[in-house]
Amino acid sequence: MKTIYERPRVFTDAITTYCGGCGHGIVNKLIAELIDEMGLQRNGIIVWPIGCSCLADKFFDMDQIMALHGRAPATATGIKRAEPDKFVLVYQGDGDMVSEGMAEIMHAAIRGEKFSVIFINNAIYGMTGGQVAPTTLMGQKATTAPMGREAVNSGYPINMAETLATLQGVCYAERVTVTSPQNVMKTKKAIKKAFDLQLAGKGMTFVEVLSPCPTNWGMQPKKALEWIDDVMVQQYPLGVFKDEEGEGA
Amino acid sequence: MSEKVFMQGNMAMAESAIRAGCKLFFGYPITPSSEVAEYFARVMFSRPEEGITFIQAETEVAAFNMIAGAVAAGHRAMTATSGPGYSLGQEAMSFMSCADLPAVVLDIMRPGPGDGDIMAGQSDYYQLTRGGGHGDYRNLILAPYTVEEGCQLMQEAFVLAEKYHNPVVVASDGNLAKLRESVELPGRLEVPDPETQYNVLSGFDPAVREKHVFLTGMNGVAEVIMINERLQKKFRAIAENEVRYERYQCEDADIVLVAYGSLARVCISAMKQAREEGIKVGMIRPITLWPYPEQAFADLNGKKFLCCELSAGQMIDDVKLAVENKHDVYLFSRWGSILPSPKEVLADIRKLNEVK
Amino acid sequence: MKKELLFSGIGGQGIMNLGEILCAAAIKAGYNVTFSPVYGAEKRGGRTMCNIVISTEIECQIVSEADVMLIMDEASLADYQHLAGEKGVLILNSQVETKPDCPCKNIQVVPFIEKAMELGNAKVANMIALGFVLRYLDFIPYGTVEDLIRETFAGKAKLIPLNLVALKTGYEYTA
Repeated sequence: MKTIYERPRVFTDAITTYCGGCGHGIVNKLIAELIDEMGLQRNGIIVWPIGCSCLADKFFDMDQIMALHGRAPATATGIKRAEPDKFVLVYQGDGDMVSEGMAEIMHAAIRGEKFSVIFINNAIYGMTGGQVAPTTLMGQKATTAPMGREAVNSGYPINMAETLATLQGVCYAERVTVTSPQNVMKTKKAIKKAFDLQLAGKGMTFVEVLSPCPTNWGMQPKKALEWIDDVMVQQYPLGVFKDEEGEGA
Repeated sequence: MSEKVFMQGNMAMAESAIRAGCKLFFGYPITPSSEVAEYFARVMFSRPEEGITFIQAETEVAAFNMIAGAVAAGHRAMTATSGPGYSLGQEAMSFMSCADLPAVVLDIMRPGPGDGDIMAGQSDYYQLTRGGGHGDYRNLILAPYTVEEGCQLMQEAFVLAEKYHNPVVVASDGNLAKLRESVELPGRLEVPDPETQYNVLSGFDPAVREKHVFLTGMNGVAEVIMINERLQKKFRAIAENEVRYERYQCEDADIVLVAYGSLARVCISAMKQAREEGIKVGMIRPITLWPYPEQAFADLNGKKFLCCELSAGQMIDDVKLAVENKHDVYLFSRWGSILPSPKEVLADIRKLNEVK
Repeated sequence: MKKELLFSGIGGQGIMNLGEILCAAAIKAGYNVTFSPVYGAEKRGGRTMCNIVISTEIECQIVSEADVMLIMDEASLADYQHLAGEKGVLILNSQVETKPDCPCKNIQVVPFIEKAMELGNAKVANMIALGFVLRYLDFIPYGTVEDLIRETFAGKAKLIPLNLVALKTGYEYTA
């Protein structure tokens, strides 16, 4: 009998602890599939953040380190500089990367650290329970912005993929989402490209994933996906913002 | 031990770290520590055979987390900083102690608080010995009093960090950092293959071993107990095995000075001058600030203690604990920036000699 | 044994150079040596001062009662004369006009600059001073200092004889 689908081998038997309808599980699975397909389990290290994905080490049968809040790009710098031939993946959410760790991600990008970064943008703090994030949309409600985000208190959203694309140290920056099978496949393609470019030693590769958080958005999972497609992409357009492949960067 | 050279403290200690096999240096400029970073940056180019990687980090916060990554990958790595920078590194010190990461830090103490001054001080005593970061953790603190001892301790720091899987700090100060002194530079240390190091991130081959995961998160009471008990066992082992100190003429002394680091040298000269005047003075020089050398005080019942420090009275807490508050403990405190002269210490010794 | 030395002048007078040669000689003679330089904020013409402690055992690394103090300019005298030890010697450049007010009784005034001019180069005043200082440091072999001057000027060999003569001039100076 021909196997047409199986659970990624790098996954352990653990059951994920993500909420129903959460995007983390989808992205974790895409990473797992690519690790299998590209044979990275024997040569790779994942650096996890603080946030909803900080229990993800239980799901992966790989070497991993859970960094301090926001510091994953610095920790990964130490690993990659010590072991330049190893595959290093940094996985961060928006509170971790854009708020607590803005300095670390920006400077790792400025230095052109040669690891891949996957950024889960769900426009809110997940694990701590729905507080306003730097990525929260204008007017979007959060527990620390009960009347909706207002510029006077929280300023304006920041578009990380576009921002990082302006830096010479970044060779690839794309924003994707996981709202449909087609978008999931596009996300997998983007992550694969990020991994390929890292292995080729090109520079920092960055994939931002617009990811649903039904629990903290107070929406049914299906509604959450529609909200990304209808509302969130207006602030965070999908697309490739930098791709230096083929330019010999 | 090899050749005798005449070298600035910071540079001699940087050279000793390189000879100890420290391959990665992550740092942020801060006076009076910057020569250490500059030394590594120069050697990276002038001696390519050393295989040095030097990164000037964006902040001390980042530098300390870069060390965490590099030592997690099994390599010897360090930073050098000074009080305010060490404050920023505290979060990572807590993390690395909890994650069993053998980081090495050279802290060049200066006077604080706040922005402080850039010369000699010992005002980091609390933050070095009391944690400073969050949670129940300890770091081994080594405090040299000469450039040569600094070089030896700089090398031992890497060995001790790996032995106990815990960060080690070498506590120098603005005086020792800038002082040029005759020094026999230590030789090269053997460097273990990163793959053989404890629990390293090296890429996991399931056919060969289990995955390695560095986690400091604790999920529920069982993990809180398990992880903390494991850590306390590690700290107890350090406390039992690694206490270091030197004692000078304590046996017949009426007054015992307690001093560490560059100020200890001022006190040695003051002690000699007091003896010439017929005042029986001895001295205890802690080399490990944590674990504190309580043993050094064990047989000195009935003597007066003069705790000397370039801080407002931080180490004196440990002296009082060591003598269980049963003896007379006095304080000689200066704010730092410059070192006091032996005459100033002598003046206090004379006064204390009159106290019945 | 412990000797505290303090040398101070203004930038360009070769104070640090003098101190470094002396330290190297003391190390060769087997002593523990510390050297703490102090520079003024100015790039040119600012203060240059060094504290040197030569000892057999580990001792205090700062000067509080100098056994030998060398002062090349007025400002240095005002700043440091209180550190001249009672039993020590204060060596003054003759261009300093102010009378010292210090615990030290033994005050030697030497026309370093004039003597250097006589040798044809004002820059060797520091070597004359080094020679004079050596009279108070008999544990440092004179020949070792000569060797170190040869090493120091190895790149500018034609300057070696002049500096050796300057050293001797200071060592043998009489008023």
